[in-house]
Amino acid sequence: MTLGGWIALALALLLGGGLAGLRLPRVWLGCTLGGTVALLVAAFTTLGVGVDWVWQSPWSLGGERVHLRLDGISAWFLTLVAVVGGTGAVYARGYWPDQAQPESAGRGRAWWSVLVLCMALVLLCSNGLHFLMAWEAFALAGFFLITLDRARRETRAAGWLYLGASHAGTLGLFAFFSMLAARTGSWELGPMRSATELAPLFWVALFGFGVKAGLFPLHIWLPSAHTNAPSHVSAILSGVAIKMGLYGLVRFSGWLPLPKGAGWVVLGLGVASALMGAAFALAQNDLKRLLAYCSVENMGVILIGLGAGLLGLADGGASWGRMAMAAALLHAWNHGLFKSLLFLGAGSVLHATGTREMSRLGGLWRAMPWTAGLFAFGAVAICALPPLNGFVSEWLLYLGLFESAAGHAPVAIVAAIIALGVTGALALAAFVKAGAVVFLGAGRTRATRDAHECGWWMRGSMLALAGLCALIGVMPLAPWFFITRSLASWEPGWSGIESPPPLATLGLLHLAVALAFVLAALALWRRAQAKGIRRELTWDCGYSAPSARMQYTGGSFAAIASGWFRWVLRPERQMRRPRGLFPAQSSRVERVPETVLERVLGPAGGVVMAASAWVRQRQRGHLPDYILYLVAGLVAVGALVLAGSWR
Amino acid sequence: MNESLNLLVALAMGLNLVALGSSRLPSLIRVVALQGMVLGLVPLVMEHEVRGMVVLVAVATVAMKGLVIPGLLRRAMRTANIDRDLFPLVGFLPSLLIGAAGTIGAVVLARWLPLLPEHHETLLVSGALASVFTGLLLLIGRSKAISQVCGYLVLENGIYLFGMLLLGSTPLLVEGGILLDLTVAVFVIGIIVDRIQRAFDTLDTRKLTVLRE
Repeated sequence: MTLGGWIALALALLLGGGLAGLRLPRVWLGCTLGGTVALLVAAFTTLGVGVDWVWQSPWSLGGERVHLRLDGISAWFLTLVAVVGGTGAVYARGYWPDQAQPESAGRGRAWWSVLVLCMALVLLCSNGLHFLMAWEAFALAGFFLITLDRARRETRAAGWLYLGASHAGTLGLFAFFSMLAARTGSWELGPMRSATELAPLFWVALFGFGVKAGLFPLHIWLPSAHTNAPSHVSAILSGVAIKMGLYGLVRFSGWLPLPKGAGWVVLGLGVASALMGAAFALAQNDLKRLLAYCSVENMGVILIGLGAGLLGLADGGASWGRMAMAAALLHAWNHGLFKSLLFLGAGSVLHATGTREMSRLGGLWRAMPWTAGLFAFGAVAICALPPLNGFVSEWLLYLGLFESAAGHAPVAIVAAIIALGVTGALALAAFVKAGAVVFLGAGRTRATRDAHECGWWMRGSMLALAGLCALIGVMPLAPWFFITRSLASWEPGWSGIESPPPLATLGLLHLAVALAFVLAALALWRRAQAKGIRRELTWDCGYSAPSARMQYTGGSFAAIASGWFRWVLRPERQMRRPRGLFPAQSSRVERVPETVLERVLGPAGGVVMAASAWVRQRQRGHLPDYILYLVAGLVAVGALVLAGSWR
Repeated sequence: MNESLNLLVALAMGLNLVALGSSRLPSLIRVVALQGMVLGLVPLVMEHEVRGMVVLVAVATVAMKGLVIPGLLRRAMRTANIDRDLFPLVGFLPSLLIGAAGTIGAVVLARWLPLLPEHHETLLVSGALASVFTGLLLLIGRSKAISQVCGYLVLENGIYLFGMLLLGSTPLLVEGGILLDLTVAVFVIGIIVDRIQRAFDTLDTRKLTVLRE
């Protein structure tokens, strides 16, 4: 079958899935899986053969011919859409079934297919007008998926916030595409590096795509949306949807001429997102919120790579730029895989216990060994520990940055390297906290008592994602081939680069480490089998009658490190100290607000609302008042004209 | 010629202030009528040789502004049984002060505007600006419907003075048209005033705010 045939098949199957989703769960699953597999085939064919697929419709839609294009970059992101779209669909079968969610399961299935379809179309469209249409449909599908469980107030609030922020970004994109069309005279997109007058448009694109990508000051919608959405939706939002913003940045930084300093700005945004995301993640008490902030952090890491890549491009295509760019692309893949795995794991915990609050969980590994193991696996991957895939991409990024520090503005690059290191440490702390508080120790509340392992649908999809993580970890050379194809479509001058020699060594090393781990685990298991296991209470600490409530809480575990970031976290505390000889009930509640939203945008919005209320009060229906406003306006315009003529 | 013109305009400007200071409806109507008549004489002193057309316009203006419109207003006042006191939104003293400041400002502004040399000598532009300003002040500062009509009349007098600048180049027909419009407007307002009075028992526009939106 030809490439076009595969793509048409995929789109048709996904459309069929969207139609069948409401009533026919099995047909839906078949269609969605078939569609994602077809997408995967098309993407890997493009990446493997290195030939772009272009199709132009004979008819026009909205006055423009539909122009689809699949090249190295869109294929790279298309694989991610397909993998997470497929595994998430399998997961949803167990996680959001008709029996448990009779009201929303059908809607959830239909919108899932629509979301995957729209994301594929965003990646394929090569006409500004249709890109915007697909983008808007994709945002709307995301909104309906986030608000599946719309009986809950927080879910609705999160949905509206997502929709508002998303449209603010879309507004930027409308400005971007229409200005582009006005200056080039056509909605058609394509390489236009030589038209240097288009360079300032990059900043508009950075805002529009940055909102979707969740860059630090623009990430306000991300934590609440990812927290309140059903977990498979969180997985695709965090793993794939925010990568669409990244795709836009990569795409248009490859096609448009770049303004001066673009690389530094992107690098700086990346550092800010990485550091702040990690700091906020560490301070969270909600498991999914922690993962959501961690997405901000990882987008920051990817952006550091992209920024260094842009710097390398401006520096005449230095090899370290390619390395950093390759790291950014690979990390986008990796983050999509392990973040989806982690969200699916968190969903399994939520499914079993009914709560996301870490301080109410604990000791779940006994009841849910599969989930605990897979979550730990994902945590190791996301903390960039060997031998998994996170280490490969971050290591490539470090290599690129170190090489660039040797020749190119060393102070700034070294600062970025240090920030990246700090980020890694904070992320590690955050995931030690999450893993330890949720899965280790003893159950803190009644919620953990009835915990049970998730079913095979959920387990299977998590296993598939974990397998992919491991595959990239031990065979880092395998994706390298596809990365070179992708880089070649980003910058034609960068085609045919060789893999850095240490990558092969790293693969061998990872294989050895993984083998060592497996052997050690086997040996331990056999020893335990031979001698028998004696189970003791964890966190005993020398107390004679310890209780589960004496354990470290997540807050106390992270207190020191999150204290360093108190200036930005601004935690809200309510405390009732125990007093007297027979103290009555005492409590301590700590909440970490979303600083940008609640401390900056909230008050700013309040000022706007107060001003609007004041203006509205002026409208009292007094004719004399209206005449006064008219005169005042007239005088103001006159003064403006006079001031103009004065000059 | 300029002296008599300036005298008339200055008189109109003085009447502006009197209008701002009058506290009772009949006296306000009287002042506005007087101002209309004074301004009706302006075309007579502006033209070098008095043509029939100019005389016709002057007579029409004096009759309309000095007699017909005030007559209509008085009639409306009587039939609608309106309380003769004006209830100012802006007090009389403040409005006098603001009006005086506006008049001074109008003179300064007229000096400063890039006018034709022949207009620099006269008070025409300053008088026009001052009357417009006073009219707006009356509209803003007085709440009764009839007093607002007076405000409109003063405003129109200002516009009429502006029109005098172009006396040589535009046909007086235009001025005639404006005058006719105004009469119709006053007619309509007189009828509306009557209706409002019957429907709501008041003419205070402050009490009509429930009709907004």
